[in-house]
Amino acid sequence: MMVAEQLIDGRIIEACQQGDRAAFQLLFETYKDKVFSIAVYSSGDRSLADDITQQIFLKLFTAIRQFRGDSEFTTWLYRLVVNACLDERRRRRRLLPWGETVEMRKTGERKPQEKQYARREVSEAVQAAIAELKPKFRLPILLKYIEGLSYEEIASVMGCSKGTVASRLNRGHSQLAKRLSHLNNPAVWGE
Amino acid sequence: MFSGHVTKDISAYCHGELSSEESKQFAEHIIACAKCRTKYEEVKLGVKLAEQLPQLSAPDYLWRDLEPLLEKETAAPAISSVSWSWQLKAAAAVVLMLLAGLSALLVYKTRRLERGPEIANEKASWHVKRLDGAPRIGSEQIANNGQLGVGEWLETDGSSRAQIAVGSIGNVEIDENTRVRLLQTDPTEHRLELARGKMSARIWAPPRLFFVDTPSAVAADLGCAYTLEVDDHGGSLLRVTSGWVALQLKDRESIVPTGAACETQPGIGPGTPYFEDAPTVFRAALRKFDFEHDASAVTVLLDQARPRDTLTLWHLLARVNGEDRERVYEKMAAFVPPPAGVTREGVLRLDQQMLESWKNELESTWTGGRLSMPKGVKEAYFRVRNGLSRRLKDMAPK
Repeated sequence: MMVAEQLIDGRIIEACQQGDRAAFQLLFETYKDKVFSIAVYSSGDRSLADDITQQIFLKLFTAIRQFRGDSEFTTWLYRLVVNACLDERRRRRRLLPWGETVEMRKTGERKPQEKQYARREVSEAVQAAIAELKPKFRLPILLKYIEGLSYEEIASVMGCSKGTVASRLNRGHSQLAKRLSHLNNPAVWGE
Repeated sequence: MFSGHVTKDISAYCHGELSSEESKQFAEHIIACAKCRTKYEEVKLGVKLAEQLPQLSAPDYLWRDLEPLLEKETAAPAISSVSWSWQLKAAAAVVLMLLAGLSALLVYKTRRLERGPEIANEKASWHVKRLDGAPRIGSEQIANNGQLGVGEWLETDGSSRAQIAVGSIGNVEIDENTRVRLLQTDPTEHRLELARGKMSARIWAPPRLFFVDTPSAVAADLGCAYTLEVDDHGGSLLRVTSGWVALQLKDRESIVPTGAACETQPGIGPGTPYFEDAPTVFRAALRKFDFEHDASAVTVLLDQARPRDTLTLWHLLARVNGEDRERVYEKMAAFVPPPAGVTREGVLRLDQQMLESWKNELESTWTGGRLSMPKGVKEAYFRVRNGLSRRLKDMAPK
């Protein structure tokens, strides 16, 4: 857990529950990057991720009154985030095929002379591949690598068992490796 | 728990979600089971890729755009009558300052990411146990236990020794007058630097997970136990007591099985491996060949070689030319004829597939039929050979 998150204690959450705008801004500043990252990787579209992030915090602003402290605040928050991303995906599936608006560049689109950016290249390829995973494999990966949650915490957020988290991460990792097998090459990693 | 295959536990193993005992059992199974090892390599690549996923920064305008929406929300319910205490205000100030600092840290880490492979988990550390005397981590003496962070040096003097727990995959004993540094520790790679002195490693991890950089080569663990000693001039001596170790500097590599040893020299890299029970004359000739450029030593080596010394001769094939290579070939063929599909011409032109096939035949001679290298380990070795980190190139003689 980052230091800033440790300072989001009961008093600040209580102030947010009372509708205190300044306290809520603190909450926003603390979690905005993580929420935004999950929204980007889930939607594959930065401008859509702006909207999703705003919707999540708007919902949080009212829903936080219902937070009773039965679970960790972060678990509760990430459950909200995951549900919002899944809702957005369901909504978009009705409108257009998944992936149609994915903006992230794939490795093949980069020019070979940009070798000095090999790691950035890998990172972009991973982002694109993550966006193509099914949500049930993608979300545990995002909660693990972006939020740094343990298997137990991911299980709590996703409402499933630790074994299911392990299994989904396994399959997610395998699919990433298969999609990006061309990156299993030391030269790509700048080695 | 691990009576069957372990594929479902691979991610949990990589993320340190298994207990120490479970991790050990997992690693032992992986070393023995080709099917699980193949899957492990795949998932490990997936983990390595997922680790490249950066946290993104939300755009600054998000709060500005959000505020009017919050305004609408607060229009209905009464705004809090709770006023902030001075403690809360102070906490708010601290959080905002921390966020500024964390942003700077994020920029710093992003730049490090762009710099290259040194993206080790800087928070990670290894547990160090004092065995004798007063070992130091940095400038601090450790009492009975300490933590060795990434980038930190562990140093022993003439009367101190220490033991390092290498995550959950093994341990390393550090002898007297030794200096080691933790370079990297994460699920896909653990790396130590041995600047001088002696260490003994016992690793029960899958191949290609634990590396030791020395001034003259990199030792890549292929599932083994070994000692590695570095002298004041940067030369080193590797002695393998169990399993296999690969030593490499740039394009020069040696694989060393149980009972064998290999020396390395700065600017040259690994010498030719030899069995420690080889005749003294044989070993002296090998040293002359490797480090004194004495080509006449080849004759002594061929005269003195026993069937088991085909380990040395197999490595020599690529290190001699012309007539000497032909003589080495003839000597090896007299001990263990090349298998079907491996031709004299192919070996003499150093066809990699043929050399590898012949090596497979020779391994039972090297290990007495007890410890031939598992197929997955062989594959791992060749990946190691082709893929050791950029440090190798940096270390190569200019």
